[in-house]
Amino acid sequence: MLCRLGGGFGTLGLASVLACETPAAAGPLTPHNGHFPPRAKRIIYLFMNGGPSHVDTFDPKPDLEKFDGTDPPQGASKKGKLMKSPFAFRKAGRSGIEVSELYPELSKCIDDICVVRSMHHETPAHERALLLMNSGNVQPIRPSLGSWLTYGLGTENQNLPGFIVLCPGKPVVGPQLWSNSFLPAVYQGTHINNSSIDPKTVIRYLQNREPAPEQRRQLDLLKAMNDIHLAERGPDTQLDARIESLEMAYRMQFEALDVFDLRKESTPVRERYGPGQFADACLIARRLVEKGVRVVQIYFGNDQPWDDHKDITNHRQHAGKSDRPIAALLQDLKARGLWDDTLVLWGGEFGRTPTSEGAKGRDHHSRGFSMWLAGGGVKGGHVHGATDELGMDAVKDRVHVHDLHATILHLLGLDHEKLTFRYSGRDFRLTDVHGQVVKGFLA
Amino acid sequence: MRFHLPLVTVLAVGMWATLCASAADPKSDPAQLEFFEKQVRPLLVEKCQECHGSQKQKGGLRLDSRAAVLAGGSSGPVVVAGDPAKSRLVEAIGYADTLRMPPKGRLSTDQVATLTSWVKMGLPWPETAGARPATTGSTLKVTAKDREFWSFRPVREPPLPTVKNQDLARSAVDRFILAKLEEKGLRPVVVADKRALIRRATFDLIGLPPTPDEIDAFLADESPEAFARVVDRLLASPHYGERWARHWLDIARYGEDQAHTFQARKYPDGFRYRDWVVKAFNTDMPYDRFVTEQIAGDLLDGPDRVDRLAATGYFALGPVYYGRATADELDDRVDTLTRGFLGLTVACARCHDHKFDPIPTTDYYSLAGIFSSSDYKEHVLTPEGGIDEKAVQEPTDKMAKDKKKDPRKPVIHSLAEGAKTADLKVHIRGNPATLGEDAPRRFLTVLAGDDPPRFAKGSGRLELARAVASKDNPLIARVIVNRLWAWHFGRGIVGTPSNFGALGERPTHPELLDYLAARFMAEGWSIKTLHREIMLSATYQLGTKYDTRSAAVDPDNKLLWRMNRRRLEVEPWRDSMLAVAGNLDPTTGGPPADLSSPDNRRRTLYGSVSRHNLDPQLRLFDFPDPNLTSDRRPVTSVPLQQLFVLNSEFMARQAKSLAARVMAAEPVDSTRIRQAFLLTYGRPPNDRELRLGEEFLSVGGADAWEKYAHVLLSANEFAFVD
Repeated sequence: MLCRLGGGFGTLGLASVLACETPAAAGPLTPHNGHFPPRAKRIIYLFMNGGPSHVDTFDPKPDLEKFDGTDPPQGASKKGKLMKSPFAFRKAGRSGIEVSELYPELSKCIDDICVVRSMHHETPAHERALLLMNSGNVQPIRPSLGSWLTYGLGTENQNLPGFIVLCPGKPVVGPQLWSNSFLPAVYQGTHINNSSIDPKTVIRYLQNREPAPEQRRQLDLLKAMNDIHLAERGPDTQLDARIESLEMAYRMQFEALDVFDLRKESTPVRERYGPGQFADACLIARRLVEKGVRVVQIYFGNDQPWDDHKDITNHRQHAGKSDRPIAALLQDLKARGLWDDTLVLWGGEFGRTPTSEGAKGRDHHSRGFSMWLAGGGVKGGHVHGATDELGMDAVKDRVHVHDLHATILHLLGLDHEKLTFRYSGRDFRLTDVHGQVVKGFLA
Repeated sequence: MRFHLPLVTVLAVGMWATLCASAADPKSDPAQLEFFEKQVRPLLVEKCQECHGSQKQKGGLRLDSRAAVLAGGSSGPVVVAGDPAKSRLVEAIGYADTLRMPPKGRLSTDQVATLTSWVKMGLPWPETAGARPATTGSTLKVTAKDREFWSFRPVREPPLPTVKNQDLARSAVDRFILAKLEEKGLRPVVVADKRALIRRATFDLIGLPPTPDEIDAFLADESPEAFARVVDRLLASPHYGERWARHWLDIARYGEDQAHTFQARKYPDGFRYRDWVVKAFNTDMPYDRFVTEQIAGDLLDGPDRVDRLAATGYFALGPVYYGRATADELDDRVDTLTRGFLGLTVACARCHDHKFDPIPTTDYYSLAGIFSSSDYKEHVLTPEGGIDEKAVQEPTDKMAKDKKKDPRKPVIHSLAEGAKTADLKVHIRGNPATLGEDAPRRFLTVLAGDDPPRFAKGSGRLELARAVASKDNPLIARVIVNRLWAWHFGRGIVGTPSNFGALGERPTHPELLDYLAARFMAEGWSIKTLHREIMLSATYQLGTKYDTRSAAVDPDNKLLWRMNRRRLEVEPWRDSMLAVAGNLDPTTGGPPADLSSPDNRRRTLYGSVSRHNLDPQLRLFDFPDPNLTSDRRPVTSVPLQQLFVLNSEFMARQAKSLAARVMAAEPVDSTRIRQAFLLTYGRPPNDRELRLGEEFLSVGGADAWEKYAHVLLSANEFAFVD
């Protein structure tokens, strides 16, 4: 681990040069320990691309009712009049946290959720904010969170990719959001377009062209030839690694076919998640983490569905498609004993203005917005931080994206100041020179 | 309407007040000074100094030194040190009365608390303790000692070392290598056999396998010049430039679009730069010229203007970002310039003086000013291939929406002198809103002396190019010589080819590096001469045989007791499959084509390179992110790559063609297997391999040969070069 993190290219090797003493079979994705015992082993990141409004979901603002239709105070800087939420908020669970009517099912899980109402950053534009949320930088020049995590921890199932991104289509910005950037390519996210889930085509080249026994015969010959080649050349970890990965690929064909096959789930389970692309993605996410995939990220939809500039009541549709599936996912993780070591994260690239845009919409807003965390190591039934009375600015216990990233790494057993990669003359971090672990999230 | 906004800071303020009470002298309390540096200074810089700093002093107030804060503004004092309640500054940031600061938006409660605490503490500010003044971003002075660092010293051709085993040294290169090996009591392994050697040289120079005929000719040539003849033949091949251009394109972070999509600038004619690089390698353009044209080709006189405009694609095809992020774009240009040509990480000095190398932040803005004084321009081409000086074409990101359907004219994406040329000022902490001292456009102080001459002509780009590509620049030759070495050996003499600074690796053979660099400049900056010098050494021709004793002493083979075995990059690997299958389309140059189509039979170099959505096969096989300059490709082996090997349409097609090719050429399986081995691995099979092949073929049906050929293409031997 130290060798890997310090040496950068260490075990990956350039040509036949291998600086680290590692067993031949230990590939770059072999699971390894972080800096301290983790609170969670894996993460499911539910990304509500487009930017869900905080004042319509998890951050109730009675003052918006009071001052509905009036000018915002000086300094609030946004155009448009203050606009109350069209959705009612209700206290939920024993904790009594208020959640909007958009999430009736999820409200029932509120005692397991840590709602963060004081997220903020400086970039209320989709592309830059998406990059910031995913890589800690507003330009497409840094590795993504998932890449850092698989770099730092490897992944538990070598027959499946360690970092899987589900999106029916593509979010704005696209593949840079799961890019390895300057980290080795092995840490890039594998994008699965779940607009149709045919287990045979979700992963590229997964489909076996030959009947399994025929392909096995090819693999056996290949192994024999590779062994002769290796024996004539003496020890060589690069040759070993490729031999090993061919066998893994053969097994992956079956394991991946299985994991993406939702027909293997019982009818009651499928009914709990409900219909739809997002629901299917949530169920696949559960199947993936169950199999030991380190990072699963689900984008809510193609392009940026939550970007409701014209009519905020469209949030009802998006929430309608995601309320039941998320609640089912949380319950399912619990039922299967995965809860304590799976971190679940919900949020978009920013929130939306407490003021109106046009008659009924809301604009981008990054000065204060909400996200939530649940699962391994997270304090449930808890609200962290607050925006001011109008939902304009995060004012109490502010959490920047860098702080969120530091905390995610912390929960997974990584010190954000120590997880570094030497590149371009310095050691880079996900959090650059920023970030503080938010103790308030932790159970 | 008035809002009663919460003030939840009482607790925090109280805590700090307690801290202060025990502090005898606020100015010397390190905890308070740290609090100032970490919390207060960034806040003042970010939120106040745009209007109350060195550039503007609204209301006559400056907030960039303790004295200035205490002096107050045109309407009197703004703070009473130690007493927030009497301080108008605290009142203003509280947003409770008519004077509300900052006017663009109130500070967060935490930020208000921070400034309030700071006033309460008595305004601790480390003005005299050697900390940098707030009005400048740079305090670093480059010293004579800094210039003694190995890579900044002038290049001198060293004397050749003496070696004990003279007979093992074929060339000067070998003596440098042998001297180090002998110091450690090591001996090189035996030289590679001729089959391995021609395969290595052919992949190295043209990125394709040798044909059986070429191998036979080399085996039959018993003269001492046989290998030199192979090298010369390969250097003269048009495929040589294709192979080596791709190495350079990694440095140039070559891409044909942007990572973002909204109003993104596209480079549909970016291939003209790619083709220029191919041509430059093929014609052995002197390296100083190669560098000069890429930085300032548009500013040079003489014929071939079209080519020289294309050369500036090194910068003109760079990433541009969403939302006019000019400062970030300048960062890319400075980074790609300095890491690419100089092996220096000057971009580290964007926000502060470089932490490890003698690069003050003024140097960064000196270079950035040259690029901010240059513009991106699309020159429209005439049907004859000249420049249509009258035609104008808007870049894709600037085109009006209704024009998008107009057919685009062919263009050259290039650099041009800016409409406005001016120096930049240092951006304190990298913030374009807080400006420090002037950074005159000129070259780096560590390389050009304490007061480098200012660049006076236009943007200064041509003067920059001359300074970079100068024999007086100790880095330019060292860096390219080392890159060439790394692309031949899999590892550079300096293991970090784009970082010759303090955090880069030290050269394993510093004298050899200087010997090669000095000769390179003396012999006219010829890349092809350098290839010959390296490849005709005994060191290059060593075998890859493992040796337990040497491996124990030098496990990484830094001293080169053997040749490194290397895995083929995705381009030569894919190209080789097409070649041995008889499917390779050898057409050179022109617009890119989608690699994901199994019908694409051209060399991988000619595939589209997208910054937004890089081809999945390239992504999978360690191709570098085209958003950033890249000096080395990592070599990773993961199952997703092997799914391509086992199941892709591309592999199946090549296997089918290879099978058909050998079946047509030979009558029986034994000779067919032999022919297939010669094509794919450049050698005949041994008995065991022959038997394995015959057994496999005896069981299968009509497509047994396709399946066998698929295995041959999938094997390690096909993917690695000894």
